[in-house]
Amino acid sequence: MRKPGTGEVASTYIQYLVVSIIILAPAAWMIASSFKPSAAVVVYPPILIFEPTIANYVRLFRTLPYLRYTFNSLVIAGGSTAFGLLLAIPAAFAVSWYRTSWPTSVALIARMAPGGLYLLPWYMIFTEMGLHGSFISLVLTHTVITMPITLLIMASFFDEIPRELMECGMIDGCSLGGIIMKIAIPLGAPGMVVSTVLTFILSWNYFLFALVLSRIRTTPLTVAAFRFVGEGVTDWGMLMAAATVLALPPLLIAFLAQKWLVKGLTFGAVKG
Amino acid sequence: MTALPTGVSRKTRWTRRLPFLWLIAPAALFTVIMTAFPILQVVHLSTREFVIGFRSVYTGLDNYREMLADPIFWSGMRVTFELYFLSLAAQLVIGLYLAILLHRALKGSRLLRTVLLSPLAMPPVAVGMMWLILLDPSFGPVNYLLELVGMNKSLFLASPRLVVQTLAAIDTWQYTPFVTLILLGGLQALPEEPYEAAEIDGASRAQRFWRITLPLLRPSIITASILRSVDLLRFFDTIYITTQGGPGTASTTLNIYAYRTGFVFFRMGYASALMLTLMVMVLAITFLLNGVRRRFQ
Repeated sequence: MRKPGTGEVASTYIQYLVVSIIILAPAAWMIASSFKPSAAVVVYPPILIFEPTIANYVRLFRTLPYLRYTFNSLVIAGGSTAFGLLLAIPAAFAVSWYRTSWPTSVALIARMAPGGLYLLPWYMIFTEMGLHGSFISLVLTHTVITMPITLLIMASFFDEIPRELMECGMIDGCSLGGIIMKIAIPLGAPGMVVSTVLTFILSWNYFLFALVLSRIRTTPLTVAAFRFVGEGVTDWGMLMAAATVLALPPLLIAFLAQKWLVKGLTFGAVKG
Repeated sequence: MTALPTGVSRKTRWTRRLPFLWLIAPAALFTVIMTAFPILQVVHLSTREFVIGFRSVYTGLDNYREMLADPIFWSGMRVTFELYFLSLAAQLVIGLYLAILLHRALKGSRLLRTVLLSPLAMPPVAVGMMWLILLDPSFGPVNYLLELVGMNKSLFLASPRLVVQTLAAIDTWQYTPFVTLILLGGLQALPEEPYEAAEIDGASRAQRFWRITLPLLRPSIITASILRSVDLLRFFDTIYITTQGGPGTASTTLNIYAYRTGFVFFRMGYASALMLTLMVMVLAITFLLNGVRRRFQ
């Protein structure tokens, strides 16, 4: 391709800058507001220079059980990510080894239903079983989000493993289980990282299931933040602190693991 | 897979297949219990007048009849599709622009890619809260910027006239980068030859874009559209955080309406009919777009 001229380079950089500002400014405003003194959050015209304070965070964690909510979010997102891997890895190996695609199709179609559709029967069944508001119900339901994605990603990673390698293992007397444990899983480890990064973020961010199925003891950060908005907020500083606490973990993961995240996000598109 | 040698009996074939079943059993069982069974139950529920702890009566197709005569169902359809078309159009156009911008691969484009990932990683709940403060009618900085350039302050999310456009803009802010990532992948896989030929023929930049890039990119564009459609038709989180379907029913999508019917008014039967209708719509549009993609491949 031909080399771009100086003018073109300059205009490209100006566009880079404008786009970055449009994307980053809103999030920066949210974080900045969480460090403003209460009165400075709602002042008009808005101010950019202020004396930063952590008072909003102190109030958030003192007046509300925010440590508990954070812990709950971790249990639900971590649990459903792990359970999704556990279910999806053998299935993904089978799909790849026997070269069929219908299990992935079925799993993906199941994901197209609106979450609320599943919630209607889940709500009734979990209530009847006495599991309403339990971690079990939340981890199980969030696995509906994580498992199909993990299946899709792991299957395409297993596809990449040279077949001869696994057939050699078979000749050397490995059982199918041995091939999975000793060859497929170690070589498919990058796929596990990709799906863990992506599904943990998706599960952490997912709102609807916990909105209906969680109780005080199991409320995750998403639902806690929503309740906070619903109560008719006046304490905007504290609200922005709540939003920041909720958004920071996935943002950090995305930042640290961006290579993996991009892979995961575009996988469905390449394979689909 | 190589063909099995002739003479392999059915039984060996079956035993070769057996591990497959064992391996997919856990995932399959989970999918059946957690999704297939609930879908069937929702079909069953949709034929009943079912109010939790109150009554459960078989009413045939009454829920669907009620739906067709329900003005909020129809306004919900309108809001759903308005939001869908507005957001999808904006995200495809801006997403393509950003993909081309990143495809120039100048120094710093990787940094921009990192920036693009940040809205994608954010929870919609936090995004909703963030825009609540940014768009606040009395102290929001967006209104301040509007006033700076001599325009009037706006109610945004509190305005029945603007709420749908505002929500489409919020979704576009958050998910355009997703479209960009897919289209960028598509751009990077394009062949070089057509461009070299165009160079020799002296084609202008615009011609190259409309005659080469856009047609060749069609499969990626449709893929991005499918993935966004599934989410946009079920648009829920950001609306529920910011407006809960209001003001009035101005931002009550089908999904919001179905949710409120089920979990605010506890009319599980009618909610089931609404949810099923929404699911059928999502599936229909996905299959339609999938068919279009096949034709281009």
